[in-house]
Amino acid sequence: MEMFETEKSGNDMYARGHETVEHGADMGIKGRGRSAEEAFEETAVAMMELLTDSRGLVPERSICIDCKGDDLSGLLIEFLNSILLKSDLEELAVFEVTITRMDRIEGEWVLEASAGGMPRKGIPERLLSEVKAATYCGVSVEQVAPGRWEAGCVVDM
Amino acid sequence: MSGVKLEKVHDYLWEVPMEGDMNVPGRIYADKDSIDFLLEESRSKQWDALLQVKNVACLPGIQVASLAMADIHPGYGFPIGGVGAFDLDSGVVSIAGVGFDINCGVRTMALDLERSAVERRKSHLADTLFDAVPAGLGSTGSLKLSVREIDDVLREGARFPLKRGYGVENDLLYIEENGVVDGADPSCVSSHAKERQLKQIGTLGSGNHYLEVQYVDEVIDDRTAGIFGLSKDSIVVSIHTGSRALGHQIGTDYLKVLDRASRKYGIPIREKELVAAPIRSPEGERYIAAVKAGINCGFANRQAIGGLVRNVFKKIFSLGETEIRTLYEVGHNNLKFEEHAVGVKVKKLLVHRKGATRAFGPGREEVPPPYRDVGHPVIVGGTMGTSSFILVGTEKGMVETFGSAVHGAGRIKSRKRAIKDYRGEDVISGLEREGIAIRVHSKRGAAEEAPGAYKDVERVVNIMEGAGINRRVVKLKPLICVKG
Repeated sequence: MEMFETEKSGNDMYARGHETVEHGADMGIKGRGRSAEEAFEETAVAMMELLTDSRGLVPERSICIDCKGDDLSGLLIEFLNSILLKSDLEELAVFEVTITRMDRIEGEWVLEASAGGMPRKGIPERLLSEVKAATYCGVSVEQVAPGRWEAGCVVDM
Repeated sequence: MSGVKLEKVHDYLWEVPMEGDMNVPGRIYADKDSIDFLLEESRSKQWDALLQVKNVACLPGIQVASLAMADIHPGYGFPIGGVGAFDLDSGVVSIAGVGFDINCGVRTMALDLERSAVERRKSHLADTLFDAVPAGLGSTGSLKLSVREIDDVLREGARFPLKRGYGVENDLLYIEENGVVDGADPSCVSSHAKERQLKQIGTLGSGNHYLEVQYVDEVIDDRTAGIFGLSKDSIVVSIHTGSRALGHQIGTDYLKVLDRASRKYGIPIREKELVAAPIRSPEGERYIAAVKAGINCGFANRQAIGGLVRNVFKKIFSLGETEIRTLYEVGHNNLKFEEHAVGVKVKKLLVHRKGATRAFGPGREEVPPPYRDVGHPVIVGGTMGTSSFILVGTEKGMVETFGSAVHGAGRIKSRKRAIKDYRGEDVISGLEREGIAIRVHSKRGAAEEAPGAYKDVERVVNIMEGAGINRRVVKLKPLICVKG
């Protein structure tokens, strides 16, 4: 992850936050927090900010996200792609997400979340770019220090 | 740092010699400056297109060489510009060699119009095209389909919108595979993928997808241009889009399947996206059948948009049906079963082209009869507001690259850097000052796609011509650019 060039939000690098990261063709996204759940949520926010300019918007609807993964990296990719899928199916511009469950059960990670947003038709001027998928390129989920987690990957635009 | 060794073969071809687990050498079409740029990237950043060429060369059953065209840049597993052909019995199918935007490609339509006619009505034409062709995030097409009808799209390809009145029968002759591939199996495509696509047939998308009205600025090969029906100031329309959300979801769904298959069949995973399955395995066959469905979806999408474009020009310029024709349509994220010479044998191979275009030269039966003497048109798009080219393949290209070409210019600046360096409003006004009518759904998208963010397409095309792989036919310049 040191090979990424990043801009960091705030003075404390390990405060909960997210950023986009340089990538040759597409866009890297990164989230950090005090737990893996927070790092996942922040990574998702970084992705959702590529899709929608949500400044000043308040969610009107929410959708449920549930996914599984063999490991935390796989779970992150599944989580992000589930958000993209459900957003498309519901035609919703999603810009907030809260993970309600993240457990390892019988060797498999399970995640449930609620994601909030607004119907895309109502805010066409706020819609930015499409994200085709979260990829395994540069995927990483790690505890960098006690109470400090980072997660990230590259999204195909 | 990859430490990939390179040997110069000639000014436009470099080889990664076989070593270690490589089954074939790597071959990269590039000039010295491009190679230096790639080496610098591999030293200073995480992404390494040269290493990706080498990794692809390690895949089982790969034939002749792991290739990269001159627009090479880092991708996901395969480099963009990557070509890999595999023996059907010993080889694998790799999701990285197709990508998420299955059958992303370009249709170019030729019109019986001169540049001056379009210039006079440019602004109105741009507005009308912008209104007629849905683009951008959240856009929906005029074809609203049921899940059962989506299955028909996946089986019928371009024929489906044609039956609904989009375009004309003659379009099909001038599309790769005549607009539909056999062997697509909708049951291999998830319900999620189909549901995402229900309203997206006939939409342009966003990012580097575009619709451009262009004119022939320069005729380089008079004879071939004449066969294509093109001359100086001829008008063409190019539509760059793919299989939209369905293709994306197929990629997402099968990444997990092929990841498990790689482990099951003992295929080393050198990069997480470079997962694969034996072509003859159940997983491989299902993925291929799903990709074929995605390919047909891409054909259908461009046929629908082509129909919308046709209607706009008929209305504004009173053109008749025969005055608007499909020149040719190519895909550049694809799997194709093709026959090629490997040594002294002719073999049927599974050819992956990821950000590379099929460019079959003279004599191939896949080329439409009117073009068979010269090869089919290969449309290579520059970025927004810059030149594009129509090329043809050569016999040398058939031998060395399985009949392949570049697909575009390739990025030189990241999207993040482009957003920092350019304002969308400035990009738009700058292009308008050059006489190009730009209509965009996202100003940020305009910044990301700024001309300065891409390599010079002319240089990329010249490398392939210098190598004898492709030949330039005409150079196109834009008059109108519509983007999502």
